[in-house]
Amino acid sequence: MQKLLEALSVRGRQWCHGYDLMKETGLSSGTLYPLLMRMTGQGLVEAEWREPTQPGRPARHAYRLTAAGAAFAQATADPNATSLPFKAALA
Amino acid sequence: MTAAVARAVMSLAACGLGESRREWAFAMQGEFEAAMEDGRPLAFAAGCLLTALREMPSQEHGRFVLANYALALGVLIPTAVLQFACLAGSPFLSSGQGGFYAMLTPDRYLADAYSSAIPPMLALWLLLGMGHLRLAWVLLERDWSRVISAGALTVAASVTLVILTGVLFLDDAGVVRQAGLLAVELTAIYASARWHARLFPGATSGNLAR
Repeated sequence: MQKLLEALSVRGRQWCHGYDLMKETGLSSGTLYPLLMRMTGQGLVEAEWREPTQPGRPARHAYRLTAAGAAFAQATADPNATSLPFKAALA
Repeated sequence: MTAAVARAVMSLAACGLGESRREWAFAMQGEFEAAMEDGRPLAFAAGCLLTALREMPSQEHGRFVLANYALALGVLIPTAVLQFACLAGSPFLSSGQGGFYAMLTPDRYLADAYSSAIPPMLALWLLLGMGHLRLAWVLLERDWSRVISAGALTVAASVTLVILTGVLFLDDAGVVRQAGLLAVELTAIYASARWHARLFPGATSGNLAR
């Protein structure tokens, strides 16, 4: 989860695709998607559909951190700044 | 070949994710094209299948699918195998010279009766085994009208076998045990049909699911 948070927080408010995240973090799809599902459910990550860039291709999901996700990433990157709600989320 | 296998694995993963995760299934399928371009479709698809398998127990639809597979692979198919094994190993059915009982009895008429009973009993055991395999298949397809017809055929074969073994004064403990097992199996299938009807109220077919 830490790797994914780092990869998403480096991009700031930019959207990125799941496969790019896989390559960047080195996580397999079997690890990445459960994390994305859980983080989206917790409101840390937001997702939206992007139109395909080439004809005949399916639409792709793009992801980025929400404001809460960015704060969470910041808190986990700097343990001294961790507040109670983020500790609870980590647990 | 790898691409075809990977697509099949992706389809399985999408099915396993169910309705509540449909959007995630589409998201994975969208990224699958990128994995194809990158030359790693199978690894990507296998990961998606793993995700689906992890997600299944947390959703009711997933639990329903897992329960059906457990019933089919854990009960119905082993029972079919057991029935084929009984067929192959039965002293009454497998002896070549008119049957085990026919050899033992001094009564010529009774020996003839035993000998002539072998083919129909053989057919009934085969029918029971095939009926169980058919039940497993249609259960996984959730085709409840065919589940009813396969169940009726299996019950008919089982009852006929019980009657036949009774008429011939054979040791019918094994047949009665199998009939009892069949009753348990049909009860489990009925429960599965009710569960399916509750999950998909508009998609029921056949009387079992009502």
